[in-house]
Amino acid sequence: MDWVFLSELAINGALTGLLYSLFAIGLVLIYKASSVPNLAQGGLTMVGAYVVLALARDVGLPLWLAIPLAAVVMFGLGFGIERVALRRLAGRPVVMILMLTLGLDIFLRGTTLAIWGGTSRSMELGVSYDPLFLGDIFISRIHLVGAGVALALFVAFMLFFRTRTGIKLRAIADDYMASWSVGISVERGVGLSWALASVVAVAAGVIWGEIQGVDQALSLLLLKGLTVAVLGGLDSILGAVIAGIILGVVENVGADFLDPLVGGGSRELIVAAVLILTVMIRPHGLFGRHDIERV
Amino acid sequence: MQEKVEAQNILSLNSVEVLYDNVMLAIKGVSVQVPKGEMIALLGSNGAGKSTTLKAISGLLKAERGRISRGGITFQGTDITEALAQKRVEMGICHVIEGRRVFEHLTPDENLTAAAPRGMSRSTLNAEKDKIYGYFPRLAERKNSQAGYLSGGEQQMLAIGRALVTQPKLLMLDEPSLGLAPFLVEEIFGILQKINKDEGLSVLLVEQNALAALEIVSQGYLIENGRVVMHGTAEALKSNSDIQEFYLGGGETDFHNVKHYSRRKRWLS
Repeated sequence: MDWVFLSELAINGALTGLLYSLFAIGLVLIYKASSVPNLAQGGLTMVGAYVVLALARDVGLPLWLAIPLAAVVMFGLGFGIERVALRRLAGRPVVMILMLTLGLDIFLRGTTLAIWGGTSRSMELGVSYDPLFLGDIFISRIHLVGAGVALALFVAFMLFFRTRTGIKLRAIADDYMASWSVGISVERGVGLSWALASVVAVAAGVIWGEIQGVDQALSLLLLKGLTVAVLGGLDSILGAVIAGIILGVVENVGADFLDPLVGGGSRELIVAAVLILTVMIRPHGLFGRHDIERV
Repeated sequence: MQEKVEAQNILSLNSVEVLYDNVMLAIKGVSVQVPKGEMIALLGSNGAGKSTTLKAISGLLKAERGRISRGGITFQGTDITEALAQKRVEMGICHVIEGRRVFEHLTPDENLTAAAPRGMSRSTLNAEKDKIYGYFPRLAERKNSQAGYLSGGEQQMLAIGRALVTQPKLLMLDEPSLGLAPFLVEEIFGILQKINKDEGLSVLLVEQNALAALEIVSQGYLIENGRVVMHGTAEALKSNSDIQEFYLGGGETDFHNVKHYSRRKRWLS
């Protein structure tokens, strides 16, 4: 057993996993306020990356300005989605809203295809691709940066949910009717959660765009992001971070063992297995709240 | 004269009719007046339209696809028939909905914070919380545990406390006694009476437990089949023989003379 190689797999797996977490945090934010897994989060991430590129390449702004500006644009887009589409569905069955987010994802993919075409564009963040060595272990710099961003967002949101606005969002997640009864604007709260998730989508879009290029394939991150969110418990940000690390390590180490046996492609199998087993064995995930049953 | 009456009533419902889904008539012309600073009860059996009346006042009807199809509601002289629920809370109407419905995954303290009106300063909020913990010492003891695990009585206290944070002028309660032991009902009603006396808070109480309700209110309305069928002071209602028989569980005790079959709710015909 080569321990150095194994720890390299584990560490890089964990870093990749945190990048899944970065994506999954957006899913959790929306789930917390509206109890709907947002199937358009992949689409939003892709749009976030395209908006950054549009501001940087087409308008010619420097990246350090283009990224926060894109975050502002996406914040507005998130609010807009609630105002235009979701508000009409308030109080309807959750499955309707789920279908709406699926439609939104298709719409966003089609829109980017129409505007920017399907050719992959590069983000060019300027992060060096020189290997970084930790002892004998090779680590990817961009993954390290992305993991740092994920952890920073995690801390920021943990603090946010203790503020008065954050508490109101959690109250909305608990009970719409009771929220209305004490004058909480459920509509504004849901809008805010979409706006924040759209900002997270910019962060995920930039990092993942740097890693795999910016094209419609970015929206497929949804599958891994959703797996992480479900494993973490869908409404727990801490869960999303820890589940991301777990999935990343299991996927990276497991694939190394399995690939030679099955002839490659076992990563997807591992992700699928984690998703299916979670739903079967522990539907509310590692940290998800389950409905309180008092006897 | 009319002007003067209006000024005395904090809330006035004028022949309010409510339609659900544009077809189902839930209440059929309810008129109720709440004089400022008084406690009023809406009594009646299940499905009579009491909860619908409260939802019409708080604006929560909209969330259930209901609407006021006729009549109007004025609060402190302002027509609020069409106002949004949120606006009505800002104006001072707070509705403690049926079934307690505390925010289960928040602590009691966070439940109170969640109800803070926009722009309420931190010091005002803390003062409000202290006042509420003063009324409900049991809540203070458990303010950092998870609200979903509080007992039924504590949850009802929390639901009332949460409503008080919005600084209401009219507090509406829907079946606060539901599922609670009699001594708890007495405790909670006692506290309501105290808040009413101390702060001049007007209270509109919906109850099936007429016996308990008539002990603390000044007037009561009896609602059946979506209509007000009787209105009077608490004393008058308590001594009314029909009310005694159907809602207070009193009346004939000599079983040889029970006349259940001859006696009916005369006002329904």
